[in-house]
Amino acid sequence: MKLVTVILLVSFLQVSAATYGQLVTIKEKKATLEKVIKEIKRQAGYDVLVSTDKMRSNTVVNAGFNNVSVEQVMDKILSGKDLTYSIEDKTILIKAREKSFIERIVDYFAAIKVTGIVRDKKDGLPMPGVSITIKGTNNTVVTNDKGEYQITTAEDAILVFRFIGYKTTEIAVNGKTKIDMSIEEDASQLKEVNIVSTGYQNLDRKLFTGSTSKINAKDAERNGIPDVSRMLEGQAAGVSVQNVSGTFGAAPKIRVRGATSLSGDNKPLWVVDGIILEDVVNISNEALSTGDANTLLGSSVAGLSPNDIESLTLLKDAAATAMYGARAMNGVVVVTTKKGKNTEGRTNINYTGTFTTYLKPNYNNFDIMNSAEQMSVLLEMENKGYLGHASMANAATGGVFTKMYNLMYDYDATNDSFALKNTIQDRLNFLSRYANANTNWFDVLFNNSLLQEHSLSATAGTAKSQSYFSTSFTSDNGQTLGDKVKRFTGNARHNVKFSDRLSLELLMNASIRDQKAPGTLTRQSDPVYGTYSRDFDINPYSYALNTSRLITPYDEKGNLEYFTRNYAPFNILNELESNYLNLRLLDIKIQAGLKFVVIPKLTYSVDGAYRYAASERNHYALENSNMAAAFRANGTTIINDNNQYLYKDPDNPAQPAYVVLPQGGFYNTTLNNIKNYYFRQNLDYDQTFAEKHRFNAFASMEVRFTDRQNSDYDGIGYQYENGGLVNPNYLYFKKMIEAGDPYFSMYYNKERNVGFATRVAYSYDNTYSINATFRYDGSNRMGTSSAVRWLPTWNVSGAWDLSQEKFYPKNKYLSSARLRGTYGLVANMGNASNSTALFYNRITYRPYDNEKETATYISSLANSELTWEKLYELNLGADLGLFNDKVNFTVDYYKRNIFDLLGNLKTSGVGGQNVKYANYGKMEAQGVELTIAGNPIQTTSGFKWRTQLNFAHNTNKVTQLDVDPNIWNLVSAEGAPMQGYAQRGLFSVVFDGLNPNYGYPTFIGTNGARHDPYIYFQSTTGSNYLKYHGPVDPTFTGGFYNQFSYKNFTLSTLFTFATGNYVRLQPSYSPQYTDLNSMSRDLINRWVMSGDEKYTNIPAVVDAFTLANRIYRPDGTTTDARYAYNAYNYSDQRVAKGDFVRLKNISLSYQIPQKLASKVKMSNMQISLVGNNIALLYSDDKLNGADPEFFNNGGVAMPIPRQYTLSIKAGF
Amino acid sequence: MKNIKYKIAILSLGIVALLTGCKKFLEESPDRRTEINTIEKLGQLLVTAYPDRHYYTFAEGASDNTEDKSAKNSLYNSEPFISLYNWNTPEGSGNGTPAEYWNACYRAVATANQALKSIEENNFGTAANQYKGEALVARAYAEFMLVTFFAEAYEIDGSNSSLGVPYPLEPETTARPTYERGTVASTYAQIRKDLEEGLPLLKGAKYQVPHYHFTEQAAKVFASRFYLFTGEWDKVISNVSTIYADGNFKTKIRQYTGELYPLSYDEHRIEYTKAEKPWNLLLSNTYSVFQRSSAAGGNRFSFGENAKNYYVGITVFGKAFRNRFGIYSSSPPNYTTNKFNEYFYYTNVQANTGYPYIMAPILTADEALLNRAEAYIRLAKEKADPSYFSLAINDLNDFASTRIVGYNQSTDGLTIAKAKTYFGLTDDYEAMIQSLLQTKRIAFMQEGLRWLDILRFKLTVKHNFVATDGTETFQTLPHGDKRRVFQIPQDAINGGITPNPR
Repeated sequence: MKLVTVILLVSFLQVSAATYGQLVTIKEKKATLEKVIKEIKRQAGYDVLVSTDKMRSNTVVNAGFNNVSVEQVMDKILSGKDLTYSIEDKTILIKAREKSFIERIVDYFAAIKVTGIVRDKKDGLPMPGVSITIKGTNNTVVTNDKGEYQITTAEDAILVFRFIGYKTTEIAVNGKTKIDMSIEEDASQLKEVNIVSTGYQNLDRKLFTGSTSKINAKDAERNGIPDVSRMLEGQAAGVSVQNVSGTFGAAPKIRVRGATSLSGDNKPLWVVDGIILEDVVNISNEALSTGDANTLLGSSVAGLSPNDIESLTLLKDAAATAMYGARAMNGVVVVTTKKGKNTEGRTNINYTGTFTTYLKPNYNNFDIMNSAEQMSVLLEMENKGYLGHASMANAATGGVFTKMYNLMYDYDATNDSFALKNTIQDRLNFLSRYANANTNWFDVLFNNSLLQEHSLSATAGTAKSQSYFSTSFTSDNGQTLGDKVKRFTGNARHNVKFSDRLSLELLMNASIRDQKAPGTLTRQSDPVYGTYSRDFDINPYSYALNTSRLITPYDEKGNLEYFTRNYAPFNILNELESNYLNLRLLDIKIQAGLKFVVIPKLTYSVDGAYRYAASERNHYALENSNMAAAFRANGTTIINDNNQYLYKDPDNPAQPAYVVLPQGGFYNTTLNNIKNYYFRQNLDYDQTFAEKHRFNAFASMEVRFTDRQNSDYDGIGYQYENGGLVNPNYLYFKKMIEAGDPYFSMYYNKERNVGFATRVAYSYDNTYSINATFRYDGSNRMGTSSAVRWLPTWNVSGAWDLSQEKFYPKNKYLSSARLRGTYGLVANMGNASNSTALFYNRITYRPYDNEKETATYISSLANSELTWEKLYELNLGADLGLFNDKVNFTVDYYKRNIFDLLGNLKTSGVGGQNVKYANYGKMEAQGVELTIAGNPIQTTSGFKWRTQLNFAHNTNKVTQLDVDPNIWNLVSAEGAPMQGYAQRGLFSVVFDGLNPNYGYPTFIGTNGARHDPYIYFQSTTGSNYLKYHGPVDPTFTGGFYNQFSYKNFTLSTLFTFATGNYVRLQPSYSPQYTDLNSMSRDLINRWVMSGDEKYTNIPAVVDAFTLANRIYRPDGTTTDARYAYNAYNYSDQRVAKGDFVRLKNISLSYQIPQKLASKVKMSNMQISLVGNNIALLYSDDKLNGADPEFFNNGGVAMPIPRQYTLSIKAGF
Repeated sequence: MKNIKYKIAILSLGIVALLTGCKKFLEESPDRRTEINTIEKLGQLLVTAYPDRHYYTFAEGASDNTEDKSAKNSLYNSEPFISLYNWNTPEGSGNGTPAEYWNACYRAVATANQALKSIEENNFGTAANQYKGEALVARAYAEFMLVTFFAEAYEIDGSNSSLGVPYPLEPETTARPTYERGTVASTYAQIRKDLEEGLPLLKGAKYQVPHYHFTEQAAKVFASRFYLFTGEWDKVISNVSTIYADGNFKTKIRQYTGELYPLSYDEHRIEYTKAEKPWNLLLSNTYSVFQRSSAAGGNRFSFGENAKNYYVGITVFGKAFRNRFGIYSSSPPNYTTNKFNEYFYYTNVQANTGYPYIMAPILTADEALLNRAEAYIRLAKEKADPSYFSLAINDLNDFASTRIVGYNQSTDGLTIAKAKTYFGLTDDYEAMIQSLLQTKRIAFMQEGLRWLDILRFKLTVKHNFVATDGTETFQTLPHGDKRRVFQIPQDAINGGITPNPR
């Protein structure tokens, strides 16, 4: 419409142009346009109107006019410019000329390149990440790290500069090729850093008074590490991340402000985009280190791609976590994922690729005997009456000696000879091959393989609608021959603003995991002798550490060489190939949120999410695996009698034991799934009165519904080599049924939670803030009694911003100062659910079908006093800004009073339950957290230093624990609580010298007697005579992060450190050693003869008779040597400090210059070289280089590998 | 404004609706627990009203059925055998300890209490009579075994004012309530009350697997044991005599010379504790390693050469009893009576993990018969009527007829004269008592019942100790020694239960 009018007007004006003619004379070489126009007016009486801004009055023209007409003058001065003129009523109108189509195309090619630097108006420093858009187009570029940009545009275009928290600024190009711009902070818009995301609300920090740490994904980025939970490492004060296993999917042991529970999981709550992320399987922090197969599902965030993360916020004190009320005790990690941006409709595409390779572990890090050293010990043992033919030939487990004896009896009738002659010389010849083998198991079993991640994201949006899509693919060929993982993630997020009052957010993320791990069964504990065991364990790392270097994987001909395990042939390479786990996990979350402004300042919102995750774990044991072969090992009558995997039929007692798995192997399936609904509605009222009074009220009501189900099936006799034929022997089932082991089972648990919460915040003049939260939680988890179903929690907190006060002297050193304080109650639900008596059913443990019946048993007696675990927390903190807020200093002190802790309570037993799970414990904890972070140096030349140092000290003490735990728990690597000590204290049996006659170890006994070789591990009274080392969790943790950037280069390093804890060394001593297991180098210094006890604490290899008969207790009675040697493994001799300093991450990035990048149509491109877990710079010598964080418990557990990564990031 | 009110009204309505939905929502059971709300489930609950641990290890270990086999000759030397033999309290509550049995008995009591409460709460009425009877008798049994081991032995006609054992009558509902021990007399009074109220209710009781429950027959065996301790001989006799309609024990008790005779060792062990065998009147599935060579057989302080010789020796009847003792790992003196067959309850067959169990015969026809024999002998003295001796002899002969191969009444039958000669005694009564005690000791070797006789007859227990150089010393545990009463478990003492004096 507008356009048509203009065209009409123009054509009309042109028609009347030539009507009047006047002459003018202007002679001046460099006359300004203004001058020329003034002359025309003076000489001809014409007025000149300029209706375009394309002509400036100071434009210089060469005026050599001698009595020429006004029209001629005008033609001359406007020539070459896109202007035209008209003359009407003695008025000359100059305006822009309409362009022809051809001219427009020509214009397009005539575009110019504009470059410049964008700076912050406040401090003049360059600003990276500012987006520059050509107005009216989708054409956008972003400034680089030095604030530079380059954009191709028409001469007359307008550039729009945008940055979150800053005023949007426009500027016309006007043909300029260099435009530097300063943009100004928008006081009305909050800076991103000043928003605290609690998962319920995004709050102005001024209104928020709790203790939090925010980690921007960009800073915590750990290229090459696909699990988000590792991003917390060393980045936030008060958060300790212990990597108890490096296997993908296994969660690190994360503690926020230390442990709060004696029996609970002590894991922080993960909240992703406002929705609580429930674990697929509940695994306690302690259980994370067992290496059992279900730990692969331990990390609830393993389905998130790190590239989709925008930021992580740690809510630490009671004020911060208050909105989570009864689940808040262990802190909350709020994950915010990326969302779409307003790109003016343009689609931005980002690609990230990482390529990682692992370093193999090395024997230099461990004190393991080489093959020659070990052979000498074995020969000593042979002299002492071990490793003889009788005990070895039919042994369940055997290495070179077993092999030697079996060959000596391997008679070949064709040439009337034995495979090995029974002469000293032949035997030594046989053994010398192994003595010289020195097998490097790490080389054999570990890969230097490739882990690659590819992630692609697209974001597009307008002011009203923004979307973000991403997909990623991770493929890890595995640290060892036994593991492998692939992960796919997909993420879609869309935000729509229907009107100023109504907006909608839709979110969906999905992940698929396909993982392979070594086949494993659940770990068993034997508290009588003090050992842990796992049948058929083939964890490559433990195998490499525990297997003698005498053993060879290949024989002389290069074929796989088998030794004996479970009476059956065993070769680790064969076993890893034929006995493995396959885990598949599908995890989908669909989420929607609606926001509606009811009346101005009052917003109603509703969020809902549905999550479904299903995992299937298949255990494949092929027919040629040792696990299957053990069921067929039936070579001699001795083996037949002793092999527990055979079946002695009670209906045919006279028959020898049967092989019940004559063909095939196993195919076992374990299914875990979770179905989770979440619904929440909120009312948010935000009002500012009279400028200075800011008020925010928030009310929320939520419902959570979680159903977990797990089932497992034993697939028996699956014939892998025979097309999957299943032809099991009925006797296997007979054995199973008689034995009470069901071939399938299914369990479920249902959680229903309801919560009501309200939070009121008031702030006066940005100086004083006060906050109060109240929450009321209801849950079904404690059982059917309604008396214990509900729990109120509350919190009050306040903050005072000193620097806003009038009296505060403005200075650049302490430029801002804010003090905070919190007091409140938070809680956690324990694992007890016996508010009324718990009855479960089982089939009686009786041998025959006609004797079995269904029994209902009391699993727990009623406990009408059952309640939630709770804590009161006092938190005092200060946020200080130094040097014009270039460096921020945050300090927090907290004290926690933790009570009603659940734990195993020993009772008199008279009520019918000797060990009850009840609220009886109390604990105190306190700590200090300190973070110094900032950008102390930023020069105009482009050098920038960002640094962050954080550390935290946390101690806790059990103040009430009515009964003492047994010794076995106290001395185990995981530690146990005891009154007066840490939440998990590590204790030891006190070593009391080696016996001078036989060299076996002795201890201070459980009754205080000296030189006692017997420790009753289940004793609860002998703990007084144990030695306390310290907590198993570090008391001091921290991280030191530095980033230096200069021009296009960025170098960052992360150091992490911890101290204050103790670790139990791997149990490695026993009264006798097999010819299969590796031995510690320490054994070289073992007791050999009387008198040695003065110089060494390493116990002897005792002879067979002493083993059974000469282990004397102080009262003269004798005992079994196994007690003494196992106790030695749990003595004070076998403890190291857990202190470490680690170079966790080092990364060097290079940003490809914009000019180069844009040539290949990229908006940016970055290449990085990253090293993760580079070096353990300090650790206790006693560990001999082993990782103090890692628990080597076999199963699926793997250490954290050293790895190097190449990462490429590109934006289009 | 009207609009706003309308919106707020809708919102609050929604919230109210959700609130009322909450109660139901939160009543969802968190897992697959069950409730006792039908008679069938009540019956299922009572399956666990029996101690699932046995007293064999400690009752035998402290008794004269155990000896020091010397370090040299034994296969193992482990706890709790060492402490038990030394009449010390074993640490902890591991397998075979008195503490473990204490807990198991009280678990059974708790189940019985829960069953009685469920009957009351659900108003099951007379339909539940059988289960009420079972619960009462099961409670009485568990309490009787507790008072026997953990309190001083009942003195007939005594004051019995020493400490009894706690006797809870209601399910526990708080974490750690306190309990009083009462006296031996008060404990016995409550056992009597439960037994005498429960036993009549068991008439005609039907069970899916009767031999694992208190049938009327089993309850009568228990009653006969109880009345032996209280000295009510007539009640012993009347209970035993009404167990079988035809009064015939000979075909019901353990048929060593009958059907068990031809069996191999392995078969013998299996058949011995099968529920279908008539002698097993009450079996209990008990978690146990007692049957293993690493426990009662191969340990230094266990069933050894002397006890074995007694077990296989010539009896007062003139011949040895048939037995199926076995040797572990071909290494004497590590013996077993070969009575218990291990049932391995697998938690996972593939991983070879689980728990060992034995089916423990805790009330047998054999015991009933010999209890009656004792009652007759006692009556003979009390009433000064020797005719009771012949009734006792009849019972003992019935017993011997199933033990002596090719039993011949005229040559192998017991007479008072034979007994007097055999034991070198002059008193008829003493000789009869000795005959009975010998018969019982052999009959129930490795079954723990010897300890009950030691208590009732105030026998002195004598233990040998073999030093490394072979010298042998002895220690005795006479009547009145405080160590004859097993100590209250440490956990229970910590939980406020008064310990026994030492």
